[in-house]
Amino acid sequence: MEKKINFTEHKADSAHLRSEKQAPDDRKGEYLAQNHDSLASRLKAGERLAATELVDAYYEQIYLFMRRLGHDRHLSEDLTQECFLQAWHHIGQLRSGGALNSWLYRIASNVSKAHWRRGKGREMVGFDAAGLPGSDNEAEYNNNAGHLEQLGRLQVALGKLPRKWQETLVLHYMQGLTIAEAAQAAGIRKGTFKSRLARALEALRKQDI
Amino acid sequence: MENQKLEKLLRELAGRTAEPIAPDLAEDIKGQIPSRLAHRRAGMNAINIVIDLRVSKLAAAAVIVISLFLCLRFFGGRDLTGDNLYEESKLFINYCLGNKTADRGSELASVLYEYLVSQGIEPVYYGDRVDISDSNAVVMYWRLSDGGYMVRFGGDLRAEAVTAEELIELQGRMLQKRTR
Repeated sequence: MEKKINFTEHKADSAHLRSEKQAPDDRKGEYLAQNHDSLASRLKAGERLAATELVDAYYEQIYLFMRRLGHDRHLSEDLTQECFLQAWHHIGQLRSGGALNSWLYRIASNVSKAHWRRGKGREMVGFDAAGLPGSDNEAEYNNNAGHLEQLGRLQVALGKLPRKWQETLVLHYMQGLTIAEAAQAAGIRKGTFKSRLARALEALRKQDI
Repeated sequence: MENQKLEKLLRELAGRTAEPIAPDLAEDIKGQIPSRLAHRRAGMNAINIVIDLRVSKLAAAAVIVISLFLCLRFFGGRDLTGDNLYEESKLFINYCLGNKTADRGSELASVLYEYLVSQGIEPVYYGDRVDISDSNAVVMYWRLSDGGYMVRFGGDLRAEAVTAEELIELQGRMLQKRTR
């Protein structure tokens, strides 16, 4: 193991988060699935209310996507805002309801890439900066210390991967996009995405986790 | 480690790295929603289409040059900027085509031809039949008011005023070259 993770520090860092940690909102998922089509057409029609619904539905996902790509909290907030600003400017390119989340993730991915490209991302080391996994209580931490450390090592290893591979894994496994959606979000074909995913997993597997 | 276990760990990591978000973030984003979301895009759609087509530099250059000449014709065939339009088109094509000299020569020749036509001159054009890189090849010529002819040669498209006899001789040489 290259890097021993100090969980005490990370526990302190994420202490303020634990009390507020939220479970995934299944109802939001259902709502999105049912309303993608109408939301997209309302957005294309320029309905402002649809834009606020889009923000409500996706701002958390986009923020977490930015965090998982290795941006710090403050920057992730800025990039999330930038992503939506870009979305308003590119609403004309929105094609169909099914592509709504891929379209938004694609914009988010480009915003993140543009940030790295501008060289402003140099201060980031990668995913490591996003904060390591914590446990909700002391007892759970003590019982699962080994497992949590493994997750921590996985997070560090993920942060060391090339950004392209990191993004592939994050989109599919962490943001929960299907292969088709994630491929669209990454701007590549499904087959290419699958092989990139396999290579990224292989690279992770080779690391000591 | 097996891929399946890795995948499971990655999914678990997603849950562990979920964190609460600044409560005012959503409101900040909503505050930036423009009052007119899509209506102002009408004019921009055409531009977006051009951008989306990802046209090559050459095609983009051709479109711009042709547009310039169309504008010129529309305003009565007068180049109000003197020869600047042709010169600037030349620079533009040089920039766009970089080192592709063959393309550059023929593009420049056709730009020059279009330019002359727009000025009311009707040159005889050989650009599509001769080797444009040959500095002795007559690319185009036109009659001057004094009875002589202005010839543009290949290579750098240099201009030379010649008499009718000289022009016939030049054309004869070109024919000889073509029959060889």
